[in-house]
Amino acid sequence: MTVSAIRPVFPAIQRKRLLVPVGRIAVGAACLALWQFGTIAIGPRWLPGPADTVGRIWELAISGELFRDTIVTFAEAATGMIVGGVAGAALPFALRLSPRLLAALEPLISAAFGLPKLALAPLFILWFGIGITTKVMFVASIVFFLLFYNGLAGILSIDPRLVAMLRVAGASEWIINREIVWNTAKPFLFSGLKIALPRALSGAVVGEFIAADSGLGWYIQNARSINDATGVIAGVAIVTVLVMAVNAALQRVQARSLAWRPIAKDMAI
Amino acid sequence: MTAAPPILEVRGLAKRFPPRSGQASSPWILADLSFCVAEQEFLTIVGPSGAGKSTLLNILAQVDDATEGRILFRGEAIRTANGTQLKPGWNCQIGYVTQDDNLLPWRTMIENVMLPLRLQGRLDVGAKDRVAELLRATNLIGFEGYYPHELSGGMRKRASLIRTLAYDPPIILMDEPFSAVDAQTRAHLQQDLLRLWNLGRKTIIFVTHDISEAIALGDRLLVLSKSPAKVIAEHPISIRRPRDLGNIYKLEGFGDIFECVRRALQ
Repeated sequence: MTVSAIRPVFPAIQRKRLLVPVGRIAVGAACLALWQFGTIAIGPRWLPGPADTVGRIWELAISGELFRDTIVTFAEAATGMIVGGVAGAALPFALRLSPRLLAALEPLISAAFGLPKLALAPLFILWFGIGITTKVMFVASIVFFLLFYNGLAGILSIDPRLVAMLRVAGASEWIINREIVWNTAKPFLFSGLKIALPRALSGAVVGEFIAADSGLGWYIQNARSINDATGVIAGVAIVTVLVMAVNAALQRVQARSLAWRPIAKDMAI
Repeated sequence: MTAAPPILEVRGLAKRFPPRSGQASSPWILADLSFCVAEQEFLTIVGPSGAGKSTLLNILAQVDDATEGRILFRGEAIRTANGTQLKPGWNCQIGYVTQDDNLLPWRTMIENVMLPLRLQGRLDVGAKDRVAELLRATNLIGFEGYYPHELSGGMRKRASLIRTLAYDPPIILMDEPFSAVDAQTRAHLQQDLLRLWNLGRKTIIFVTHDISEAIALGDRLLVLSKSPAKVIAEHPISIRRPRDLGNIYKLEGFGDIFECVRRALQ
């Protein structure tokens, strides 16, 4: 437990490190095989195979639709993420200053969290029309709570002894916030983002199911209405890849900004 | 040393925490506690566990408020009889080394040590030299870039110690800083502390429940009673400095003071 900053790389560990990507590929290949098997078993009309799906995605890529729809969905998810995420993450910081206001608001926020957002879709359309705003607000209403509750858990886990120590050393309230509150809350906010980012993308897609004229959700919905199973699966596959890309980016940022944390070596990816 | 004017004076300090729900009144933790500390004096305070020693230091550090009493810093009241707004650390005049090292886990060792200087806008060349000297004196050279969880318990203690010494407050409060480490590390840390104190003499108020430690380090020793705590005995310690802590038991005077304090604590 003393000095362990230099990580010794033993050959055995290196071999084990290699196991992870190899295993990943193996499981991925197994899933593809299962998919192909399903296609053969119930027929490509009901479950189009991987080859057809890739073919469709290729067509969409060439025609430019892939790019356009992905950008639309991504923009809705990202804007919603910023609107709802920033508000959700900032609110616990503000409520820290008033425990009584927090106690008063918490049950209300909890109730709002429980509301089925999809059931409110007609209202959203009524209020915000069928343009991008509806999808943005839909996404925001989902991610707001995820970041709020994670941020709140972070704020509640602040170590008061560190705060006292820093005050004695001459820190202002602003410094306490920046140094202790922010750094304590950060890992919690990252956990929140880990859940919220995929939810934001799927929220945008679901929003497009309801009312849209472009976007991946619109494409899937459109394909469904004309019984184009290949289109549905191609759309879902694109969304999945998008989620994976966003996740990988998040992982990178997180690894860099939480480098100080003691992480069990066998839990590191 | 007793001729020097007191840097800190505590008069009739009393403390009780607010009663818990269902409790009519809460017990007094401190009652009518009074003492003085002279400039550059190393005052040690021993008391039984749970006697309110940490509470006393929290009040002196202005992290917590007293219920009654006055505290004077160089003659200026920092707590009057009817209470005042708390100012933790009294404008960086009172440093506090707590029982736990309280290093920020997301900052490297050197960032932790320099943090108070940076917050006070005093991180100049002179301060950096001073930090380097303290690192050298405590054998922490080479570990600057390590995060606290990568350091041993003794290293974390030394880092937390020099974090306070680095910004050089006139008074340093120490709350059993060496209680959580093993006996050998502890002996090293005590020797380190005496050496650092010799480099630049400060006023230190050192609280412990270990009688030998209190005699070995201090110029003067106060004994606190069981809760509610008040001063029940006072012993000047005239053992010559520099002291060899390895042989402190054999030095003249040690045994007598030890015996007196032990009896007072019973």
